[in-house]
Amino acid sequence: MSIRVAVTGLGLFLPGYPNATAWAEKNELPADDPRKPGGLAFDRVNRRRASQMGRAIGDCVAEAMAAAEVDGVTTPVIVGSSIGEANAMLDLLDKMWREQEPMSPAVFTVSVHNAASGLLSISMKNKGYTTSIAADYDTPAATLLEGIGLLANGTDAVVCVCADEASPRSLLEQAPNWDMLSAAVVLQPAGATNALAHLTVDDCRKDRDDLTVAPASFAEGFAQSPQAGMADLVDAIQRGESGVLGLDRGNGRGYRVTLESAQ
Amino acid sequence: MRPLLVTGYSMLSALGMGRQQHLDALKNGKTGLGPSPIPLDFDTATGAVRVDLPELPTHMEAWSTRLARMAAALLAEIDEPLRRAREKWRPERIAILLGTSTAGAETTEVAYKDYVEGGKFPRDYDFQRQHTFGAVLTVVRELTGCTGPSWMASTACTSSGKTFATAQRMIEADIIDAAIVGGLDTLCTMTLQGFNSLQALDRVACRPFRKTRSGISIGEGGAFALVERKGDARVLIEGIGETSDAYHISAPHPEGLGAQAAMRDALAAAGKKPENIDHVNAHGTGTTLNDTAEANAIKLVLGTDVPCVSTKAYTGHTLGAAAALEMAFSSCAIEEGFLPPAIGDGEIDPKIDVCIPTELTTGTFNRVLSNSFAFGGNNVSLLVSAP
Repeated sequence: MSIRVAVTGLGLFLPGYPNATAWAEKNELPADDPRKPGGLAFDRVNRRRASQMGRAIGDCVAEAMAAAEVDGVTTPVIVGSSIGEANAMLDLLDKMWREQEPMSPAVFTVSVHNAASGLLSISMKNKGYTTSIAADYDTPAATLLEGIGLLANGTDAVVCVCADEASPRSLLEQAPNWDMLSAAVVLQPAGATNALAHLTVDDCRKDRDDLTVAPASFAEGFAQSPQAGMADLVDAIQRGESGVLGLDRGNGRGYRVTLESAQ
Repeated sequence: MRPLLVTGYSMLSALGMGRQQHLDALKNGKTGLGPSPIPLDFDTATGAVRVDLPELPTHMEAWSTRLARMAAALLAEIDEPLRRAREKWRPERIAILLGTSTAGAETTEVAYKDYVEGGKFPRDYDFQRQHTFGAVLTVVRELTGCTGPSWMASTACTSSGKTFATAQRMIEADIIDAAIVGGLDTLCTMTLQGFNSLQALDRVACRPFRKTRSGISIGEGGAFALVERKGDARVLIEGIGETSDAYHISAPHPEGLGAQAAMRDALAAAGKKPENIDHVNAHGTGTTLNDTAEANAIKLVLGTDVPCVSTKAYTGHTLGAAAALEMAFSSCAIEEGFLPPAIGDGEIDPKIDVCIPTELTTGTFNRVLSNSFAFGGNNVSLLVSAP
């Protein structure tokens, strides 16, 4: 379906695993560690403004860009998230309905879906393209397709990062809950000399019989995240896998990638 | 860039539903702004949609929100070109690329109020089917039978503008042949309270580029467009500029540097010069900062003679829908040969050094730049052209 592209950088943040290397080595932080993301890609002012999810995005973007040796000033960043800053929205609703307090302008401005991508562009002084998208459990596939569209039209490299905060339990009483997760890949045109893998995003279909690459062995809380597919992709590339990998865990429309390891 | 063919488009706003109601209001300088239908403890005008929205089919009842019903109304208006597109392209090659800022926040805030007051959500409230960005995508897929890639862009007030750029790239990359693009947003208390907290709301109907302007009027509505690889284009998207201010999360760059770059990029993508532009549909929110920065940017990129109108004085600022709605108004200017008068109380700000026509202007308009700027310093400029 899509054009073959190279993956040249990876980033990952899971509470307990602050980066992709820690996950690959199964080097989990001690249970008493605060396990909070640092927001490495942000400057000090915008790190304070960013939500926990925003900071996790910042960590993944910094890690993936460093690995791919691309710069933050010119490289487009696509942020995918299913529910975005829903916790900020809940905070606003609580203030509005429960406490009947005036709304905080500071919270309101970072409650928009593109808060993280906006803060990143400010921190990295990137005056070019950036976007934020959402497609529920298909967000990883959508983020990759948006990136592939950019590459096909002449962009040299693009960061695709997917993240969601822990599910808002009060709103999702009947649905599976998930924990915060963020994962990123840097895509470049096929044949990039520093490729870790090549991939194509294939048409979606519900049957999963052709999937040959196993998803990551995440704890259930991460596996339920709408962004689990992007973390599975990072994990599969780290393991040097080739084959067909699902970009969702059965809750989406069934997008998959065909992966060729370059390691 | 290769131009994007727009083969159909639809509009829904405080001015009404469909082409004729919008043309009547725009030609006659008749605003749709009025009192807020949402109870508030402060004064502001809003652009509320007052037309009856269609019900969803019975089997889609769980998805039935105001936003989803707006989507159904907008789809009905492009039914004919969409039918032709479905005959021409396979369903998996027709994408659904929409933009929204608030998604289902209007539904959630009502449900959450019940939760706060009574300890539980309404029985029929369903976060995943009524709130998430994907909920409306499901509705549009179901109503159209289009099964291509589908996602929501959510970059606040540029959201629906981004969808044209994505569609253009994906057609060019041969991932799709056609797409339903555009965007939609509904009024909600949280948005109104939020902009009020920023002291960004005008107490009366907004007055873009006027000396006495003092803020935004929030509106609701949407616009969808069908874009295709080939077909009978009503208008073209000849150039697109997408930039970031990299300056401030909620304030525009004072000199409009990001806005200038977006307009220049749109011109460059189309291979056109400033003198080729006949009209600007300005972002023109009515805030002091935005209008000053944008006027400065327009002056530096296009000069002072190009007529600029902000149609937000008619519809209010429809947030994630604004870029698509204003692309539709730009298309009307080209197809119908008129520019709506810039309306709003008070005299034009003498410090706004661009041409703001306050009377209906008729003539031939071949190329219109439509600007949209957003929280996060996100900027999109669409160059809409006659085919």
